[in-house]
Amino acid sequence: MGRHVVGRVSEVPPGGRRIVDAAGRSIGVFNVKGTFYALRNSCPHQAAPLCLGAIKGMTLPSRPGEYHWGREGEILRCPWHGWEFDITTGRSIFNPHKTRVKAYEVTVESDQAQDEEPDESVETFDVTVEDGFIILHT
Amino acid sequence: MAVATQEVREKTSGHTGIVDCDVHPYPAHADEIRQYLPMPWRDRFGSVGRGFYGNPVHGSRLDSTPPSGGPAGSDPAFMRQQLIDEFGVAYAILLPRTFCNLQPDPDFGTAVAAAFNDWLADTWLSRFNPDGVFKGSITVNIQDPPAAAKEIERWAGHPHFVQVMTDSGARVPLGQRQYYPIYEACARHGFRFAVHPGTDGMGINHQATPGYPTHYIEWHTCLSLAFQAHLVSLLTEGVFERFPELGVTLTEGGVAWLAPLMWRLDTEWKALRSEVPWVTKLPSAYLRDHVRLSSQPLESPDNTRDLLQVLEMMDAKHILMFASDYPHWDFDSPTHAFPKLPADLHERIFAINARQWYGLPAPGTDGASMPETLDPDRR
Repeated sequence: MGRHVVGRVSEVPPGGRRIVDAAGRSIGVFNVKGTFYALRNSCPHQAAPLCLGAIKGMTLPSRPGEYHWGREGEILRCPWHGWEFDITTGRSIFNPHKTRVKAYEVTVESDQAQDEEPDESVETFDVTVEDGFIILHT
Repeated sequence: MAVATQEVREKTSGHTGIVDCDVHPYPAHADEIRQYLPMPWRDRFGSVGRGFYGNPVHGSRLDSTPPSGGPAGSDPAFMRQQLIDEFGVAYAILLPRTFCNLQPDPDFGTAVAAAFNDWLADTWLSRFNPDGVFKGSITVNIQDPPAAAKEIERWAGHPHFVQVMTDSGARVPLGQRQYYPIYEACARHGFRFAVHPGTDGMGINHQATPGYPTHYIEWHTCLSLAFQAHLVSLLTEGVFERFPELGVTLTEGGVAWLAPLMWRLDTEWKALRSEVPWVTKLPSAYLRDHVRLSSQPLESPDNTRDLLQVLEMMDAKHILMFASDYPHWDFDSPTHAFPKLPADLHERIFAINARQWYGLPAPGTDGASMPETLDPDRR
């Protein structure tokens, strides 16, 4: 179980993402409406860099001839073949049970990684959770 | 054993020697093409594109946009990094996207084809090509076959053009006689003739479905229908009897349909041979000598054994050639598009079939004993 500091919350605003190398893998960390999610940056189809894809909504299931757009900001489209994935779960839209990308836990914490020594030479301030650290758990 | 030894050596050197049979270079700007167009065509040439049935998601891999700017496929250094070096591609067969054969004015279409050929020859096939990794396709405007034949003549003997190409969009099937000046020129100068999707149902061309489909997904899925019709036409019109040196490359037209279509055509021929007496053997028996298919977009059934059986049925060992379609959205990765194949089949599909088809020396050899673009017995 690895613990990786991704950055400050303010550095990855809602709708944003940051791609990091952690535990020997490339992982995309996404801020979806204030909640952070992380997905492996490799599409299960042909290993494209999935997390570079467009962050979109999706056409929801509908009757023929009707269009209902929804889930804006929650859907990641692979940059190669356009397969849609639910950022909040890593599951694909077309086959959520079988086609999925590995998702990781992300937390927001006021302190940086506990095993890091604080730098005494730097004047420090208390941080609120609003600008805490994004921690990726692998 | 010899194949296995070669595999080990290629893996050790990190060079797989892939021949990628469908790669798309783009000009960074329409002016790059415009500069080759004489007036009055220079002012008539608009943008580079077809403007119809666009992919509603994205048309090219999003990560293929060069960091230097410009459209996907326009930066040779970035293409080398992302395709040639990444996958160990020994040769990339370049097919520019001119869409010239949708034009109602045949002279304009011919001028656009010539301008793209000049551009390709001056850039990707020379300045960007010190190692000869890029091999080109001569675009012709098939709505004016005599003019197309002249354009082919213009490039005869060029060291890096290996084939002539057209989009599959057409007004009549490709086996019909008005096209023969093109095939005669291809056969005379040792160029393969490639068909690539792109202008079906656009401009003056027919759509190979009953009318226009509504959605891109329909149009794109049904692109293979035109290829099936063109192939049946080429075989039944006796084109390969008339031009024994002619070879047709069916690029990006689908793969899995071939075997059942040939079963059907062979069965029809047994009863109807008398209608086409110049077809002197089973239509499918012409394929090995005259037809190759490129693999992308490879059909991918859930059960990969189904695909392996299809490959066996269609004689993939002899007539299938790998293609990635870089940088387009439906790119097939050389390492992920195919299921695990037997080593000899893999080697044939990814390298040998295309090297033989285009007369390309094996990587690492100097090719001195072999003409650059031609198999000696095709001269």
